Amino acid sequence: MSWLRVELDEGRASFRPGEVVRGTASWSLDAPPAAVEVRLIWFTQGKGDRDVGLVESVPAAAPGAEGGLSFAFILPDGPYSFSGTLVSLLWAVEAVALPASDAASAELVVSPSGREILLPRETPDAGAR
Amino acid sequence: MRARDNPFAVHRIHALRFRLTEDGWRELLARLHALALRAAIVGPEGAGKTLLLEELGARLGSLGLAPRLLTLHRGERQPAPAARAALLAGLGGGDVVLVDGADELGSLAWSSLRRATRAAGGLVVTSHRPGLLPTVWTCGTSVELLADLVRELVGRAEAEALRPRLVALFDRHRGDLRAALRALYDLYGASPATVGPLPGA
Repeated sequence: MSWLRVELDEGRASFRPGEVVRGTASWSLDAPPAAVEVRLIWFTQGKGDRDVGLVESVPAAAPGAEGGLSFAFILPDGPYSFSGTLVSLLWAVEAVALPASDAASAELVVSPSGREILLPRETPDAGAR
Repeated sequence: MRARDNPFAVHRIHALRFRLTEDGWRELLARLHALALRAAIVGPEGAGKTLLLEELGARLGSLGLAPRLLTLHRGERQPAPAARAALLAGLGGGDVVLVDGADELGSLAWSSLRRATRAAGGLVVTSHRPGLLPTVWTCGTSVELLADLVRELVGRAEAEALRPRLVALFDRHRGDLRAALRALYDLYGASPATVGPLPGA
């Protein structure tokens, strides 16, 4: 059975902008992939179509059917992890094996407090004087 | 409820599969081949035509054909030049052109695209109305189908609790399942709980 996984060092999942996200991607696939890429991304989920931002990508050189790759990404200033009722913004490190597009990811939170920012719910009289 | 937790978030809707059995797929592919891979998927707004076209493309891909997708949005009377050029570049018998929303095209643009895709191994389109190409499949909707999709998204018990609301949403949106699922997103978004039936459901 083939597998692909991403693990963050010390199981840490909360970060502040500018900090370094370290970890390891590892895999055991049925056949050697053409390439394995580990990517630091943010993406949205919610009512609208998904937006994705690729911050940095690290390729594995000549990956075999089994292997691993350590990564260390410096987090940018933003955007911060947040959630409202219409959209959430999430961060993740994902590993993708090509061309089959087997993928795995580990989510993380990026904000000044290290916690997801929760937007207040709009109320019908919001902004009313 | 946080958007990421909303069971009707777009990424969860996009993960739903078109409801067609393996026998149904065999029938669809047999009809399509009988029509020389030039045919239309027809149905009203929100009936799953786009989803069926995408899944059909994957099936054709697994049969050794190379699907090329062109998506036309509301009011797009002709494809963007770059998209048209990419679609038609080096087109050959191993390619199948998939056009989502072909009825958005003006008559001249449609005729031109139809001519330009003659070299392709197939041309399959989606349309709200029949007539562009022979109809290979007609997509329809029902409250049962909506309930089935909702069951997959929220589970059986919660879907049962929602049943009266589903009937009302189906009627209000005249069978447009996409619109009904969007309305459910709003209902859940307004709910403070992450799970459980909605107030009044």
